[in-house]
Amino acid sequence: MSPEREQALAAEWVTARPTAWREVGLRLVRLPWLVAEHWDLVRTTLKRDIAARFQGTVFGWAWPVLQPLFLFGIYFFIFTEILQQRLGDLPEDKKALMGIYMFTAMLAWSALSESLARGATVIVDNGNLIKKLVFPAELLPLNVVLASLTVMLFGIGIFVLATLLTPIWHAPRLAILWVPVILLLQALFLYGLVLFLGTLQVFLRDTAQIMAMLTTMWMFLTPIFWIPELMGEGLEPYRALLEVNPAFHMVSAWRGALMGDVVVPAGQRVMEPVLVARIPEHLGTFALWAVASYAIGYTFFTFSQRRFADEV
Amino acid sequence: MTEYAIEAQGLGKAYRIYPKPLRRVGEWLTWGRYKGHHEFWALRGIDLALKPGSSLGLCGANGAGKSTLLKVLSGTTAPTEGRYRIRGRAASLLELGAGFHQDFTGRANILLNGVMMGFSRRELMQKTPEIIEFAELGSYIDEPVRTYSSGMGLRLAFAIAASVNPEVLIIDEVFAVGDMYFQKKCVDRIYEFKKQNRTIVFCSHSLYDLRQFCDVALWLEGGKPRAQGDSIFVTNEYAAFQRQHIGSVAEAVHGDIPLVPASARRRPEDMPRILDARIYRLGTDEECYEIQSGDSVEIRVWWKNPRPSETPIQIGVAFMRGDMTTCGGQATHFKGLTLSGTEGCLVLKAPELRLLAGQFLIPVVLFDGEGVHRYQDYLMPQNLLVRAYTKDIGLFRLDLEFEQRRLAPPAPKDAPVEAGARP
Repeated sequence: MSPEREQALAAEWVTARPTAWREVGLRLVRLPWLVAEHWDLVRTTLKRDIAARFQGTVFGWAWPVLQPLFLFGIYFFIFTEILQQRLGDLPEDKKALMGIYMFTAMLAWSALSESLARGATVIVDNGNLIKKLVFPAELLPLNVVLASLTVMLFGIGIFVLATLLTPIWHAPRLAILWVPVILLLQALFLYGLVLFLGTLQVFLRDTAQIMAMLTTMWMFLTPIFWIPELMGEGLEPYRALLEVNPAFHMVSAWRGALMGDVVVPAGQRVMEPVLVARIPEHLGTFALWAVASYAIGYTFFTFSQRRFADEV
Repeated sequence: MTEYAIEAQGLGKAYRIYPKPLRRVGEWLTWGRYKGHHEFWALRGIDLALKPGSSLGLCGANGAGKSTLLKVLSGTTAPTEGRYRIRGRAASLLELGAGFHQDFTGRANILLNGVMMGFSRRELMQKTPEIIEFAELGSYIDEPVRTYSSGMGLRLAFAIAASVNPEVLIIDEVFAVGDMYFQKKCVDRIYEFKKQNRTIVFCSHSLYDLRQFCDVALWLEGGKPRAQGDSIFVTNEYAAFQRQHIGSVAEAVHGDIPLVPASARRRPEDMPRILDARIYRLGTDEECYEIQSGDSVEIRVWWKNPRPSETPIQIGVAFMRGDMTTCGGQATHFKGLTLSGTEGCLVLKAPELRLLAGQFLIPVVLFDGEGVHRYQDYLMPQNLLVRAYTKDIGLFRLDLEFEQRRLAPPAPKDAPVEAGARP
């Protein structure tokens, strides 16, 4: 900000008038500029956030690599062994299908559940900062989302490395170019949710508890550990619910981008659990969710922000 | 563009108190038609107009709204009514070390804390050596903050905050901690700010500090301004108020003078007594209980003594501070007066009463003829409020003057007498 603009802004009256809709609209649009302006703050706190998890541990910066590696190990060995029976005869290069199917979705899901768990309390937990320092508080929830996405990216990096170095799965193809788009939409979606929950938690401390329960339910409703194609007739009444679920579209897009097309014979039928061609469709629905989530979350946050310092 | 650095009009802040969390949900569900909270006004009716380069001090008891006002002005909390504006970049120091991360080194925390305050990383990299030097942490700067003593943490926090160079600085009572040496350093730094024509708002329980730093002061009581203006005037008002809280005065005042034993032979209406006592401006009939230090007053005491031959009397009048320190007084028997007749009005003249600021009690004592026993303690119903506009300390204003001379220190006395030596 130029000094003149800073002066002009600073000399405006601060009044008791509630936040105007116009201002909310402006702030919704201006977020990228705000982030750019405070990029140093975003970067420093993000680094702090990730570093703080591993500060003082023996493995230190190896942890963000070790965690997904361990997760990958579990899914690859255990689930592949157990569940490939039910999928019938898998071709040799698709042996690891079940493990990788779960792992890719789990990476994306972990980012979501971690964002929600930490995001719900992020404003209350940083009450001291909000009360004592003047800074854009919307950067706190953003920090939570970015941190969880960064950890997720470590996992994705590990996955890509594994496909390149070992024969468990074929290396990512052109579809991996979708990753930036998915990341951006996921960030927007999570940011809106976290803004909403974090704000609600300030006024209603039950939010985090309720959300923890709902997240577990949500996880089982999302095809992470199960394949919709395999569910048969039983799923049909709930198909609409599945199609609405933004997390379904999110994990499907991730799978398409990372795994490529998967077409396997499952008993009598041909199963297509993952299709690159469906990514735009998934992302289209997810984008609607993301924009709605951001708009609602940020609006709620902006209207309530002036009372944070009194309530935390 | 305004000519004021800080301007506030009718500023007020109310907190909503919800006795139960469910009440808030009720408000939401009824779209605000059901009112489940009550409001607590922490601050109300604040008007400010501070020119650049001036400094405002806040005083008042705990919970008077000082910190709330600082919070509102610094922008961490929104006003509930009224409005304010600040010209130029404002920085606030509401708490030292807010946002320190215990597991990171001092150096990392400089960066972290600094970007929170709105610095860029590059700026901070440049300032870091200066900050480390000011904080005097030496090699500790690369240790985790967790290992610091509280004093070290404070030094670092203040050093970071002091490196901000704002036009308006808002400080809560943050440097009232730490050792004397560091306090001095902080105070020097704040003086430097003042010299650079920057505006400072700060609160303190130390009236001395307020007088030293501030041109204007605001005394808050229960969230409302009780006195506002010149800092010496306001701090004196506040000091006078503080001394007002008194216990059982008569007990404390004359506990050491024995009462005349009640006698069955005398009826109560025959006993001498004091009817009234009042303070006037000297030589006038204008009653006055609020004066400035150095004003001239007279105290009139009306007395009655139905049987002067049987019960001769003497009268004493004193000025007593709230903490029961007798600051001065006079009595008729000290002056060799006799009070004859059955009734009269005794006038004690006090030209140029140079008591310093405070609230003073005026006890009037009715003694027996010898001034040994007392018949009655009479406490003037109204206290005398003295205001002072000078920077003296103590009870009275004395004619103290400084002069500077070029004089060599006196030579030591030759042949000092040794202890115990006898000539």
